[in-house]
Parts: sequence; structure tokens; C-alpha cells
Amino acid sequence: MDSEQSFSPFLMPLAVFGGWLVPGLGYWILGHRSRSLVVFGTILALFFLGVLIGGVKVVDAPTQLTWAAIVDKPWYILQVLSGLIAVVTAVASQAATASHAHAFDIGTLYTSVAGFLNLLTIIDCGWRTAAQGAA
Amino acid sequence: MIAVCMVLLAYRPFIDPLPLWNGWFWWSLPLCAGVSVVYKCTKCDRMADVPIQSLMIFIWMMIGLVGSAAALYGLVAVMTKVAGG
Repeated sequence: MDSEQSFSPFLMPLAVFGGWLVPGLGYWILGHRSRSLVVFGTILALFFLGVLIGGVKVVDAPTQLTWAAIVDKPWYILQVLSGLIAVVTAVASQAATASHAHAFDIGTLYTSVAGFLNLLTIIDCGWRTAAQGAA
Repeated sequence: MIAVCMVLLAYRPFIDPLPLWNGWFWWSLPLCAGVSVVYKCTKCDRMADVPIQSLMIFIWMMIGLVGSAAALYGLVAVMTKVAGG
């Protein structure tokens, strides 16, 4: 059974930011330890599987913060939602070269879905914090 | 055979894409499993419910994928027949 912490005004921003930084950390802060570990393991497994399938270059960050540069690499918008691991992978992938292999597309899909799922958990953390505060 | 061995020897994990030729669609299984587990983690109040609930949604996702694939296969077969005949 998960334990829950008492409500504090800083809990929601902390849980949301923590949930983005490390998948599952938001749940950990809220006291949902087992939920946190399952989310952490699953999202990181999907992310690393994506990088293993497609190569490190599947996480390819835009070089500039302009609209054209961001639209040119739209998958990174979802991938960066995985948190620190996506930023580190993007830095590591700068020296690598992109591939036209089919596995590259599958890897991109895996890492993007991992980011999207982390967004889902971040929203859930925010909702659970609000519900905890209202109770 | 020699070409396959050369590709496998040149493969660098996490740098090069996996040398996949056939059966790439099996990679939808771990993806759907991950999606179902995380989705049910957000929806279920009790973590004890997550395994059975995620298994159920995983089976439904597989039924949906296989059904879509069969429908598209049938559509392409019909369209090919219409266009050809």
C-alpha cells in the first residue's frame, strides 16, 4: 500500500518538475513508492530499448531555439518529456550520424512514446497533488 | 551468410540501428506492454490492480493492431483486384 504525504503548496511544482526530471520521481515525492518504481522502470526501459533499436541518433535535438529548427525535428518535442535522460542522450548523439534504416524509425517511436507516457504521469502527479490538497 | 555475419560484426550497440530485416513488427509487443503498464499505473488507485488491468488492455491493443492489419490487408487485396481486373 502506498503512503501519502501531507499537503504543502510547494508539493505540486516539486512533483511535476521531479516527474519530468526523472520518470516516476513525482510519484515518489507524493509517497506512491511502488507506482514510482514501476513507472521509472517501464519508461526508462522503453527509452533505452528505443536507443538500442535505432541507435543514439534517434534523439536528435534542434540546434537552435527557432520555430523552423524545432519543426524540423518534431520528435524531440516528445522525447524531451522523458527528462534528463533525453537531454543527456541528445548531447551524446551530436557526434553520431543519422540512419535511414527501418530500425531508426522504430527507435524514434519508442523514445517518443516514452516521453509521451512521462507527460501522462506528470499530469497524473499534478492531478493527484490537487486532489490531495482538496481532501 | 558472409554478408549477414559482416553486418553483425560491424554492429555497435546503442550507436548503430539494430540489423533488423524481417519480423520488425514484433517490436510492437514491448511497446504496447509498456504503454499499457504506465497507462494503468496512472488510472488504477490500487497498484495491486495494475498487472491484471494492464494485461487486459494489452490484449485489447493486440486485437486492435491485428484487426487493423487484417482490414488493411483485405483492403489492399480488394483494391489490387479492382485495379487489376
